Amino acid sequence: MTGALALALALAQQPAAAARPEPLPQVLVDRRLAESVPLRPGDTVRVRTLAGRGEPRPFVVAGVFEREADPNRISRNEIEVRFHLPDLQALLPQPDRVDRFALVLERGARADSAARWVEGVAFGTRAFGSAELADQTSATFRVVSRFHDAIGIVTILASAIFLLCVMIIRVDERRRDMGVLRLIGVSRGTVFRAIVLEAVAIAVAGSAAGAGLGLVAARIVNAHYAGVYDTTLRFALVTPRIVLIAALLGLALGVGAGALAAWRVVAVPPQKLGER
Amino acid sequence: MIVSAFLKSLFRRRGRTLLALAGIAVSAALLLDMTMLASGLTVSFGELLGASGYTLRVTPKGILPFDSEAAIDDGAGVARRIAAVGGVRAVAPVLGAQFRIVRGDSTGAPVFTVGIDPRAEFLYRLERGRQPGPGEVVVSIPLARDLGVRPGDELALAGELDVTLGRARATRRFRVSGVGDFLYDYAGEHSLAMTLADAQAATGRSAGVSLFGVATDEGVDDETVVRRIAAAVPEVSAWSTRELMGEMDKRLLYFKQLATILGSVAMVVTALLVSTIITIGVRERFGEIATLRAIGVSGRRVLLAVVVEGLSLAGLGCVIGLPLGLWMAGRLDRILLSFPGIPARISFFAWEPRRVALAMGLVIAIGAAAGCIPGLGAVRARLAQALREEAE
Repeated sequence: MTGALALALALAQQPAAAARPEPLPQVLVDRRLAESVPLRPGDTVRVRTLAGRGEPRPFVVAGVFEREADPNRISRNEIEVRFHLPDLQALLPQPDRVDRFALVLERGARADSAARWVEGVAFGTRAFGSAELADQTSATFRVVSRFHDAIGIVTILASAIFLLCVMIIRVDERRRDMGVLRLIGVSRGTVFRAIVLEAVAIAVAGSAAGAGLGLVAARIVNAHYAGVYDTTLRFALVTPRIVLIAALLGLALGVGAGALAAWRVVAVPPQKLGER
Repeated sequence: MIVSAFLKSLFRRRGRTLLALAGIAVSAALLLDMTMLASGLTVSFGELLGASGYTLRVTPKGILPFDSEAAIDDGAGVARRIAAVGGVRAVAPVLGAQFRIVRGDSTGAPVFTVGIDPRAEFLYRLERGRQPGPGEVVVSIPLARDLGVRPGDELALAGELDVTLGRARATRRFRVSGVGDFLYDYAGEHSLAMTLADAQAATGRSAGVSLFGVATDEGVDDETVVRRIAAAVPEVSAWSTRELMGEMDKRLLYFKQLATILGSVAMVVTALLVSTIITIGVRERFGEIATLRAIGVSGRRVLLAVVVEGLSLAGLGCVIGLPLGLWMAGRLDRILLSFPGIPARISFFAWEPRRVALAMGLVIAIGAAAGCIPGLGAVRARLAQALREEAE
C-alpha cells in the first residue's frame, strides 16, 4: 500500500550508494519535482517531514510518476511524493496512523450497507460509497458551476439586448422601404416574417461564428491553464450539447428580437413609415 | 448648440437609445463585477487578517498558517525571541487541534479548536462571558446555538477516539466561559477556544504552537519586522499580510483570470454596442451633417458633437450600470460564499474606489473612442456627394 500525502520535504541529493547490507526504502517522486531538482530513478534523497522530529532519512527514488489530473487539488497544486505506508508512518510523529482506507467490495455487495457496517465496527470513522464521496468532494465545483450559470445569464441578457438593438436599428433604417412595400400591397404578415427571418439569419450566423470563436477560445484557455498549473486537466470544454444549447438560445433570441423589431414596424400605418 | 442638437437626436429615437443604454449598463455592470472580483477575496482576506491588529503571522518554516499539522516545538522560547525583536508590540500563540464533543454515549463530529493565550488573542471577538481560564472553553456562536450551551455550562471533550473499544478516549470536562464570534469560521461552523496550556496537554504537544500572531508597533513597517523576525528566529517563517494576500492570490488565480477574461468580453461588447449605435446614428444624419458643414460649421465641432454623443451614452450606461453591478455582485457573492470552508466574513467582491473608477472610466473612454470612427467618417466624407445623396 502506498501512502500519498502532500508534505513539504527537505531534500538533499546524495550519490547512489553501492552495495548495502540493507536496501534503502523507496520513494516515488512527482514528475515536476524530478524535473526541477532534477532527480532520476536510483538517486538517493534524504527526507524529513515538517511535522516530524529527528534527522532526515535516506530513500531511493524508485520511479517518477505523473499525478492524476484531479480538479480537487488544482488550486494548491502541491508537489507529491509517495512512500510505502510503514516508511511514511515512521517519519511522522504519530505512528500507526492512517488518513483513509480504500475498500474493494466483493461482486454484488452494496456500498451503502458496507459503509454502515464499517462505521459500526470502527467507531469514529465515516465510510462513503464512491458516488457519495464524489458528491461530497464536488461541492466546490457545484459552486463554480452556479457562478458560471449566473454569469451566463448576464451574458445572455447582454446578447439579447445587443441583438434587439441591432435589429431595431436595421429595421429603423429601412422604415421607408417597409412603408413602400406595405403601400404596394405586401401584407403585414409578410413584412413581419421577413424581419423575423432576417433576425434569425443574423442570430444563426452569429451563433455559428460564436461556436467557432468558442472552440478557439477553449483551446487558448486550456493551453494557458495547462502551462500555469502544469496539468492535463481541461478547464473549458465545447461539447456538441453545449453548441446545440447555444445555437437554440441564439435562435430563440433571434426570433424574439426579430418579432419585437418587426412589431414596431407593422403596428404603424404604412403612410407614417416614411416620416422622419 | 451643435452638441446639444446631437444629444437631442438620442431622445428622438427613444426606444433605440434606451435599449443601447440597457446594453451598456449590463456590460458596465459585468465589468464592474469582474473588477471587484479580481481583487475582492484578496483585499477582504487582508482586511480580515489585520482586523484585530495582529498583522503578521509566524509559522513553522515554509508553511502557511494551518496548512499542515507541523508545529513550532519550543513555543514559549520562540515567543520570547519574537517579542524581543524591535517593532514587535505583542505576540499571540495559537495551537490548532481537533476535539469531539461527548454527550452521554454519543460523540459528535470533530470540532476545530484553538489553544490561545487569553491575554493576547486575535481569532475571535467575545460576545458573552469572559476569556477562558484553565479548564474552560469559549464556544462559537453557531455551536452555542445548536447545542444550547451558555456560559457556565459544562462540555465533555474528547481528544481521541478508541476505534477498537468504540468509545471516546481522553475525555475531559470543560466549563464554558464565554461565547465568541470566530472571525475565520465559515457560516455555521462549530469552533472552540481554550487556553494554550490546556490544548497542549490534551494533544500531547507540550510546548507546541501552530502559529503566532504578531502585532507591530505603530508606525513600524510590517515588512521590516518580518525581515527582523526571519533573521532573529531562522527556524520559522514570518508572513506579512501582503505576503499572505500574495499566497491567496496564487490559489485564486483561476478567479482572477476568469475576471480578466469576462471583463475584457464586457469591454468588447460595450465598444461594439456604442460604436454600432453611433455609426448608424451618424449614417442616418449624414445629410444633416453635410448641411451643417456646408453652412460653415467646422469639422472639428461636428466630430466633437459625435464624440460627446458616444460619451453621453456610455456615461449614462455607467450611471445605470453601477447600482446594477453592485446588486449583481451581492447575488454572485452569495453564490461564491457557499464554497466549503470559506470564512463567512470574507467577500469575493471588494469595493475599491480607484479600481471601480478605472473600470467606469474605461467604459466612458470606449464610448468616446467608439464615436470617433463614425465621426471622422462623417467629417471626411465628400461634401457634394453627401448633399446629393441626402437630396436623393
